[in-house]
Amino acid sequence: MLEKISVKNLKFFYGTNLALKGIDIPFYANKVTAFIGPSGCGKSTLLRVLNRMYDLYPGQHAEGEILFDGRNILNPGEDLNLLRARIGMVFQKPTPFPMTIYDNIAFGLKLYENLSKSELDGRVEDSLKRAALWSEVKDKLGANGLSLSGGQQQRLCIARTVAIKPEVILFDEPCSALDPISTAKIEELIDELKTEYTIAIVTHNMQQAARVSEYTAFMYLGDLVEFDETSKIFTTPTDPRTQDYITGRFG
Amino acid sequence: MIDHTVRAYDDELMEIGRKITEMGGIAETMLANAIQSLVKGDTELAQRVIATDPKLDVLEREIEEKAILTIARRQPMAIDLRALVSAIRIASDIERIGDLAKNVGKRVVAIDGQFAPQKIVGGVIHISDLALDRLHRVLDAYAHRDVEAAMSVWNQDEEIDQLYNSLFRELLTYMMEDPRNIGFCAHLLFSAKNIERIGDHATNIAETIKYLVTGETVVADRPRAADGYAPLQTP
Repeated sequence: MLEKISVKNLKFFYGTNLALKGIDIPFYANKVTAFIGPSGCGKSTLLRVLNRMYDLYPGQHAEGEILFDGRNILNPGEDLNLLRARIGMVFQKPTPFPMTIYDNIAFGLKLYENLSKSELDGRVEDSLKRAALWSEVKDKLGANGLSLSGGQQQRLCIARTVAIKPEVILFDEPCSALDPISTAKIEELIDELKTEYTIAIVTHNMQQAARVSEYTAFMYLGDLVEFDETSKIFTTPTDPRTQDYITGRFG
Repeated sequence: MIDHTVRAYDDELMEIGRKITEMGGIAETMLANAIQSLVKGDTELAQRVIATDPKLDVLEREIEEKAILTIARRQPMAIDLRALVSAIRIASDIERIGDLAKNVGKRVVAIDGQFAPQKIVGGVIHISDLALDRLHRVLDAYAHRDVEAAMSVWNQDEEIDQLYNSLFRELLTYMMEDPRNIGFCAHLLFSAKNIERIGDHATNIAETIKYLVTGETVVADRPRAADGYAPLQTP
């Protein structure tokens, strides 16, 4: 199976604090990889490293290798704007820009590509359709993105991410602020998106990890404890710490 | 194993486990009494066996309901999920074992008064003892989550099958010798078949124990004796 991203012996430091203690993990192309583990285990940190989000903060640095299509993205010379266009991210709280629904999506497109008005319209519609939001907003594209419900806002953010045609999408607890119906819509969306993208998702909802992913990684205190097929992790995990965590027996 | 953070979850799982143990105890007693009633022609004891069966039905239903409720309420994972699925399966096997023991009891009531040579009944007693031994050991294996003990029961089922086949031939011979034997021999044959089926359910439970403990299903075919359905030579 094709490894879209290969993380090799990754260490990450918040100042002198070692948050990831030498992680090795593959991200298979067109598969969903879920990350579970208690708060502070390093799963969100790992996601932040994957598109070098940490570069925005002084004092944080990573060691090791992250091969993205065989190229180490931790190299200092890496073009971060291009990298983040190829590896998109959706956050826990919906973060629409304070502008119209249309512009929320067109904004990123205009940065990366030179498109005519009709091309732009097409891409906006296409992105909103992929994010399963089109039918709900097609008559009010001029409305402010912030006027949408939480679930709609999150799908708007996904549409915004999808619009610039990334190769990998990182989801950091995308449903933790959403109601069950919006959650189901996002999960359905993830299922559709994986045919074109490689997906990583951090979630505190074990059942969600079991539902949406093909592979699951259990992290604890900055270590990768267990990585395996999701069906294996949730029925017969190998490591007793994984078993204790997923069955609710954790200390 | 350490406890769940939510203590009520442990209580739910423990209660289901207790009910399985209770069912196992009832089924064992039913089988032992059914055999006893067959040996002694004790129709009163046989009636008691028949009257006990509804208890197992009730317990099975309770286990199923509680397991389903726990699945809905806790969304169990890994060992907990396997424990609940196993509980439902084992409860259903024990309930069937109870039915089969009850059927033997009904046969005893039906045979009542008919002449049954001890020699023929002896074969049925032998197969019953084996089935009772397997049932007892597999229930023990469940209580101790002992895969090895469970698999030894699984491996020994062939013996019961073989015994049933030879019993089948023996009873057939008796029936052919004298048509007056046909009545009770047929009842004995059905009783033996019921008891042989109890052995099969014991092996089912053994397979479930393996799944419960290891997460692996038994894929290999159980060692089996050739069936006894080959045409018999007329003497």
